[in-house]
Amino acid sequence: MARMKFLCDAERCIECNACVTACKNANEVPWGINRRRVVTINDGSPGERSMSVACMHCSDAPCAAVCPVDCFYFTDDGVVLHDKDICIGCGYCFYACPFGAPQFPANVAFGGRGKMDKCTFCGGGPEPDNSPEEFRKYGSNRLAQGKLPLCAEMCSTKALIAGDGDVVSEIFRERVTYRAASGLAWGWGVAYGKPGQRRASGLENKASSQD
Amino acid sequence: MHFPTRYRVVISLMLLLLALILLVPLAPYALAYVQGAGGVANPGTELWREVRQGVPGQTQVQGTDTGTLIGAGGEQWRRFRMEQLVPYSAVIFAGVVGLFVLYFLIRGRIRITAGRSGRLIQRYTLSDRWIHWFMAVVFLILMLTGLVLLYGRWILIPWLGPEGFSATAQFCKSAHNLTGLLFPVAVVLVLFAYLREALFNFKVDITWFLRAGGYLGGKHPSSGKINAGQKAWYWTVVVGGVLLCVSGLALYFPDFVQSRELLRNAYQVHTLVAVFIIAFFFVHIYLGAIGMEGSLEAMTSGSVDANWAKEQHDLWYEEVRGQPEPDPPGAGGIAAGGVASPRPDD
Repeated sequence: MARMKFLCDAERCIECNACVTACKNANEVPWGINRRRVVTINDGSPGERSMSVACMHCSDAPCAAVCPVDCFYFTDDGVVLHDKDICIGCGYCFYACPFGAPQFPANVAFGGRGKMDKCTFCGGGPEPDNSPEEFRKYGSNRLAQGKLPLCAEMCSTKALIAGDGDVVSEIFRERVTYRAASGLAWGWGVAYGKPGQRRASGLENKASSQD
Repeated sequence: MHFPTRYRVVISLMLLLLALILLVPLAPYALAYVQGAGGVANPGTELWREVRQGVPGQTQVQGTDTGTLIGAGGEQWRRFRMEQLVPYSAVIFAGVVGLFVLYFLIRGRIRITAGRSGRLIQRYTLSDRWIHWFMAVVFLILMLTGLVLLYGRWILIPWLGPEGFSATAQFCKSAHNLTGLLFPVAVVLVLFAYLREALFNFKVDITWFLRAGGYLGGKHPSSGKINAGQKAWYWTVVVGGVLLCVSGLALYFPDFVQSRELLRNAYQVHTLVAVFIIAFFFVHIYLGAIGMEGSLEAMTSGSVDANWAKEQHDLWYEEVRGQPEPDPPGAGGIAAGGVASPRPDD
């Protein structure tokens, strides 16, 4: 069973924001919602690095842990999804997420939050695959069509890679070998934990532990 | 193949240009490689440390905190909510309620020792009582809706199902937000209504605390119009209420400019104060309505029995003993105002 992961290679990202645009294009998210963003550290200085970040689909996802209505669920591929019919827009997932992934439409009276929206790994939601309701609420379900997230597929420098963790890490390992550098994959340590942490969380037999 | 000389020159120049276009951008890397070989630290090390510490970068996405790649505070907040707040608050509430059940079973209802005298003393005016019950209704709604949101995932989802509890939680969230707007009003009213009687009289009040109010046996300590425990409750409500209002407002309008750090801190203040107040509220309910004969009527009819006053609030009784008796209970009482008024049993 595949374990879906994102990886952004900071040595390759050129901050073109095509992934951000591709995401909006694939999922037709409402105005003001950005499921993905590109952040540049030390912008304009020597050694600046850019990284594309969205929901990392964590193994031990903080959003799912703190949700008061328990609206999150995990697919067999390790993708973290949520049910907008259950979500009450409290924002706790937004407090807990290290990556700032959860987004909220600001169209509710008295400054309230609407239903949370976040990256679905182009995996849709609980509705039937590729149904109009699913598209309206969660955007496209490319996984059900046998495709990978559009952000990664569109990436011009192949900095952003998405797919089965084993394949992704193999691609990155090859790059690192040629590049003679290491430790530059964005977010993996936080999102998927170290092997010891996964064992402590009872996740040692999950696909995410086999990288 | 033989090209004229000028073609060879043009092709060579174009190849040179192409080589330059491809190679010139690599110059900084070549330089960095040479310097790196000379023992200069990898700039990446510093970079990733900054990322992990949440140093913000630049991004095209407008919004609060969007420049932060990894916000470490979220994990701390998760631990606070899931491993401390939820389990410990449940233990505290269950402990307080359990202690009072035990106390009630052992000690029973504390009666007026001398029995009722039949003579009434005015204790709270109509406006005092209205303010009390206004606060009571607002507080109860906020407490119940807040507790549903805090524990519902574990207690109510098994009963209502995810969809059912979602509707309940949505309602409780809205009710909490809307009723919350009345809470500052109630806090200010309470602040002014009972301020005079809640000022500490240190000699009397310390004695009261040292004797635990006489609830654990021993002589009943003296007290003025309200005793030291009631004063502590008053100040808890006022100070805690202000903290709840301030932190609540920060949480209320999430789309202003609050950073997630501020929202998380506001959540911690809000919940810690709420847990303290709710635990104290259980004490207040027990002593005011369940455990003591003759106490509740002070807030329903507004007057108390003279013997109750003599035993519970001796100093206050000395002050008011000469005053004329109030109207009989019920006349102009709060029941006439439409609020349910449970009659104390005699």
